[in-house]
Amino acid sequence: MSLSAKGLSTDEIFQVELTVNGERREGAVEARKTLADFLREDLALTGTHLGCEHGVCGACTVLVDGEPARSCLMLAVQARGSAVLTIEGLAQKGELSSLQQSMWDNHSFQCGFCTPGFLMQITALLEQSPNPTEGEVREALSGNICRCTGYQSIVKGVMAAIASSNPKDVS
Amino acid sequence: MSDSKSGVFPVAGRFTGSPVRRSEDPRLLTGRGMYVDDIRLPGMLHAAFVRSPMAHAVVLRVDTKAARSAPGVRAVFDGQEMAQLAKAGGGPLGDMGGEGVESPIFTVLATDRVRMMGDPVALVVADSRYLAEDACELIQVEYQELPAVTSAEQALDPRSTPIFANLGSNVLQGPTTERFGDVEAVFASADRVVTASLTQHRHQNVPMEGRGIVASFDPATGELRVNASTQGVHGVREALAAQLDIPLEKVHVRAGDIGGSFGLKFGVSREEVAVAAASLKLGLPVRWIEDRNENLTVSGQAREESFEVEAAITKDGDILGLKVKMVIDAGAYPGVAPMLVGTIRQMIPGPYRMEALSFTATVAITNKASYVAYRGPWASETWVRERLIDLISAELGRDPMQIRLRNVAVRGEPPLRMVTGPSLAGITAQESLQRAAALIDLDSFRERQELARQEGRYLGVGFGTFIEPAPGPRDPDETPSEEEMEQLRMRLELDGTVTVFTSQMPHGQSHQTTLAQVAADHFGIPFSQVKVVVGDTDMVPMGFGTGGSRSATMAGGATLHAARALRAKVLEVAAQLIDTGPETLNIIGGMVAAEKASTRSITLVEVAAAAAAGDRLPPGIDRELEVNFAFDGGAGGWSGGTHCAVVEVDVETGLVRVERYLVVEDCGEMINPAIVEGQVRGGVAQGIGAVLLERSAYGEDGQFLSGSLMDYLLPTATDVPQIEIEHLETVRLDADVNFRGVGEGGMIVAPPTLGNAIADALAPFGVRITEQHLPPARLLELIGTMDA
Ligand code: FES
Ligand code: FES
Repeated sequence: MSLSAKGLSTDEIFQVELTVNGERREGAVEARKTLADFLREDLALTGTHLGCEHGVCGACTVLVDGEPARSCLMLAVQARGSAVLTIEGLAQKGELSSLQQSMWDNHSFQCGFCTPGFLMQITALLEQSPNPTEGEVREALSGNICRCTGYQSIVKGVMAAIASSNPKDVS
Repeated sequence: MSDSKSGVFPVAGRFTGSPVRRSEDPRLLTGRGMYVDDIRLPGMLHAAFVRSPMAHAVVLRVDTKAARSAPGVRAVFDGQEMAQLAKAGGGPLGDMGGEGVESPIFTVLATDRVRMMGDPVALVVADSRYLAEDACELIQVEYQELPAVTSAEQALDPRSTPIFANLGSNVLQGPTTERFGDVEAVFASADRVVTASLTQHRHQNVPMEGRGIVASFDPATGELRVNASTQGVHGVREALAAQLDIPLEKVHVRAGDIGGSFGLKFGVSREEVAVAAASLKLGLPVRWIEDRNENLTVSGQAREESFEVEAAITKDGDILGLKVKMVIDAGAYPGVAPMLVGTIRQMIPGPYRMEALSFTATVAITNKASYVAYRGPWASETWVRERLIDLISAELGRDPMQIRLRNVAVRGEPPLRMVTGPSLAGITAQESLQRAAALIDLDSFRERQELARQEGRYLGVGFGTFIEPAPGPRDPDETPSEEEMEQLRMRLELDGTVTVFTSQMPHGQSHQTTLAQVAADHFGIPFSQVKVVVGDTDMVPMGFGTGGSRSATMAGGATLHAARALRAKVLEVAAQLIDTGPETLNIIGGMVAAEKASTRSITLVEVAAAAAAGDRLPPGIDRELEVNFAFDGGAGGWSGGTHCAVVEVDVETGLVRVERYLVVEDCGEMINPAIVEGQVRGGVAQGIGAVLLERSAYGEDGQFLSGSLMDYLLPTATDVPQIEIEHLETVRLDADVNFRGVGEGGMIVAPPTLGNAIADALAPFGVRITEQHLPPARLLELIGTMDA
């Protein structure tokens, strides 16, 4: 049930200040506005996608202070003061990140709708554990749904990105 | 990379056949895609629907008063008001009903009846989606509940409450029977008759992006501009013009990136008509983006069929003929189900020789979401046939591979024709079966299986084989209709690049890459110099869009021929400019060059400029460097193949682990192998999901029980195994175009492949598998460790 139907005020407005992709951004939002809607509507960052709005598909994944978060389940006000990284922030100065490049080289995606969530989830994974096994990669991605690919091409792209960033002599 | 060929088309084969990286990816990988939910228009309003909480009810009263004065609300439409704005329509696919089917009549929003859970009852348009949804909660609807018809069995009962008054019963079509060959004689001569009741459960497309539309009507010009998530823009345009009663030329439909569809997004849905009608009424842009609950509950579902099958066989395992009775549960607003009857009937013999078939079909209407097309919509024929072959093999105590090889049609051995009519020219079913058996090493698997069983571990192997009319071999006596032809436009731009305009509407199939590969090779310029324009009714030729695994042959072929025709035109002009014969010229890497080194070469930019100016050309030369090509599909041909799954069933938990999944397939000449393999694997993943996880579940009262992704389970990266693919060398039927479609096969044959493997694993328990949905709880019931 929405707030107004419960007789609560929906018009109380909160100021939100945060960093998005390295830039300071601010906005005025209702308490109930999700981070995803804030990014997509208020900041016009439509790269973050909504595939379920109930926390299952992972399409909306962004990094909040380095940790993957489902922006459909998080309120914009909860991100106050945080550093948020979205898909738009992955490529630097027009150069694809090595992960993006590898996903391109390996035909990882088809329709592209799940893509932002996967890329953000994988980015977080590789930050935390730069050299995962294929099984660990599949496990880490098991909260992201892709309806098009059957996942093999995505996993292949990730493994190739890992291989290219780890010279052969890994111990 | 394929090597370049010499001769008239020296660059042919340079891009075609290579896993060229997709031109779509730079935008999609950086968050710069443009999906319908990403469209922002000034003054855009947001729509939300009030939906029925009941499966079947009379609508007594809709009270919208409180909603109309709620914050941010711009308009509210109930069913009666909407009926003034938009004509009643004919379901998700318009009136694509089968022959002799009376179409049920229904309005865009419910007026007097709701016929499924989630049926739209009212539409709210507000300043934001949040405010629109708030106002929806203020709308009060009074219903009088009717008995829900929740199964085909109930629908066939003449006492069931008719869901559509104008039909009088819940039988939309049938029972109708068609016979091929001498059915009675074949059954009289059989050594035995094997019978089976086989079912396929309801499951659904679930693209990651749901449906959606932004409609913007400009009262000043009378133009309606629409952005849609669709598989074909022209279909949306035609349906909107008809249902809103506005001139076709005033409607402009565009589509950007589409987040998947798998058959769901053809034509317009009732919601999309309602949103466009609201824009027309308000003179402002209105947007509706379906949420996941709406997508699961109302967008459409597929595949609920039950079959009674009798197979006439010899003691040696020859399948002589089949008697089949099928009932389809078409759901509430029948769209595609009646149309499928003919396809299922025609395809059920598959690549096998059989002499006779009797096929009886009935289409029932129930209070469930409408039956829509889903990747290989007719796939129940493959499920039934391939499961039946394993059941026959079990009865005869023979290996299913032997029975398949014994019955499969073989090139060079007449009659190379399905008993239902279509030619089997060029099929490679026998090769794919043999190759799959060899790759899996069946004999050593049987040994391993036996050893495992002694340790209480249950391994199984299953095969399935299929053919897919993608597009199917063309009967030389039949001329395709204009709608069956694929139109394509191609032109040389002033900057020397080539633009391809196609009616294909890619939603994951990567046509902006594949068609550019073909055009680049056959025109003679680099891949990067070809732009493929899709999704704009003002620009792309007429056509039905993307679906039915048509695009590789139809659009690939149209591109090939258009590129050659454009090339010939360009060479004519160039020949005038450098004063030589066009036959001595070639386009290589964007330059027009002569065979003789003494003749100078010129750039395509120069040719385009000269053609535009005209002053350097003699009169009578065709200066328009643009071609329109209509392709009839050439000789066509089948796609097909054999899949094999090796599984282990944990009989304590009922969990199935797919240990190995192998695909041996033939989709003709590949334009881009990486894209082909993506299509195959994606389809297999959906097939695995259908068997192990996915089910559109209803309660006895018609309540929909799987309205979230926590209830409707999709396969994830830990559910889908590595899928090995081997491509067979194809039989070329056409002189030029041997690309064949590959979109649907994976989803068509994976369910019986997996079902057969599970049945094989559980053979020691005497389990007989006749249903397609086999989640752990059901397997435990079948094994007997859990009560049904
Ligand atoms: S949209 Fe957030 S998890 Fe699906
Ligand atoms: S590429 Fe379409 S959902 Fe993943």
